[in-house]
Amino acid sequence: MKDILTIIMRLTLSCMLAATVMGVAYLTTIKAKKHNEHVNEQKVRYALLGYSDQKPIPGSMALHSIYRYVVSDAGNQTIGYLLPGKEGFIFVTLDLEGKIVDNKEVKVEESSLAEREERDKIVRGIAGGKDVVFADQTIVVTDNGQRVAYLLDGKFTGFKTFIGVMLALDPQFSLLGLEILEHEEDPGLGAEIEQDYFKNQFKGKTFDTLKGMDVVKEPLPDKYFQALEGNIAEADAAAILNQYLEHDIYALTGATISSRSVNNGVKGIVKKFAYRLNILDAVLAEQKIAVAF
Amino acid sequence: MQLISRGILSENPIFKLALSMCPAVGISTTVMNGLMLGIAVLFVQVFSSVTISLFKNKIHPRIRIPSYTLTIATWVTVIDLALAAYMPEAYAKMGIFVKLIVAFAIITMRLEMFACKESVKDSFWDGLGMGLGFLVGMMVIGLVRELLGSGTILGYDILGFKPLLFFILPSAGFFVVGLMMAFFNWIEIAYKRAKGLK
Repeated sequence: MKDILTIIMRLTLSCMLAATVMGVAYLTTIKAKKHNEHVNEQKVRYALLGYSDQKPIPGSMALHSIYRYVVSDAGNQTIGYLLPGKEGFIFVTLDLEGKIVDNKEVKVEESSLAEREERDKIVRGIAGGKDVVFADQTIVVTDNGQRVAYLLDGKFTGFKTFIGVMLALDPQFSLLGLEILEHEEDPGLGAEIEQDYFKNQFKGKTFDTLKGMDVVKEPLPDKYFQALEGNIAEADAAAILNQYLEHDIYALTGATISSRSVNNGVKGIVKKFAYRLNILDAVLAEQKIAVAF
Repeated sequence: MQLISRGILSENPIFKLALSMCPAVGISTTVMNGLMLGIAVLFVQVFSSVTISLFKNKIHPRIRIPSYTLTIATWVTVIDLALAAYMPEAYAKMGIFVKLIVAFAIITMRLEMFACKESVKDSFWDGLGMGLGFLVGMMVIGLVRELLGSGTILGYDILGFKPLLFFILPSAGFFVVGLMMAFFNWIEIAYKRAKGLK
């Protein structure tokens, strides 16, 4: 009996000690980790638009974030968009048919919307205490007030667990670029989705091509491979890439399922986004709501 | 010190003790993977050995294994957080694998066989030796698999083509480990014979 008590007490103490050590490690590193994530996100966004450290983003460009939330209230669901208006923020609520339900002005600083927990709290307050779930974030890129690109995040099922991507679309919803943010695919097989010769196949595909795009299990033609990897001169590469613009995606060797997941995931994200944006733009125009984009 | 050389050569965890074959088979697809994971395992091994050695008189014999697991889990969490915060590029490549270190047999076995009986100083050197042995083993396997599977070393294209894609798959890992075990045994026998003759 005494043994059991000793064991319980010692185990409890060890667990508490271990928890303290882990807690200290967490608190010491959490700031650095969040900072890394933000820097990485920023780098990916600029890279997708074609800018980098060597070619900085021009001053006339601005990035506006639209946050989409699903508001539930006793079985009734509505979609809420937190948008930047001409001055300050607006929260527009639409029902599932696409008709406007509500339109509120929100007095809040842009910096407090950056972290998800704070933002969720703010939105919950706006929605009057109803249940809110964050859906996704879209960034509208404007140059001198005109829309030039959309940046979308997306997550979908891959071969193993999830694949997280960021897409850049132009105002006609053609793909400007694709970046794989996170995945847990097998190294050497599914993880090849990160390679240029796979990702760049999506670049430039128009919305119409995208709607019917599929994955084809054929070997990647060598010239196309060189063009995708950037091994040939720009002018020649552009000609080759143009040749394959309407072609389906060539699957990765030994990773058909991962290739298909990315293809279908990207298709789904773009189609849904186009549908939702058209509805939102229609409502904004109809209600004459002034927005920053 | 003798403990370190023992960890790398005569009692190498992968090739001699046949422990932690799982990561040796599954993760050592490239030299870089092997190196990064080897470093993480080294860290966890050294710290766990020292911790258990420090508390060896306080751990009740009946709950040894849960105590070892708790210690290992703590240190794995610490290095996981540290890598994610301070080395994001390296972490992006091997983040998934670091979390699996908790399940490695080599660390638990070493704690059971050595750290809970020996002094703190000896445990430190033993942990270092075992960790280095694991690191060296992983890099060697990674070298063979990367060179024959992708034709590269550390990402640099050496051969310019992929000889046998088979080497990247896990089954090839078993082949390579088995062959390396045989190779190491052969060297040891030859060495002993040479020494015996002298």
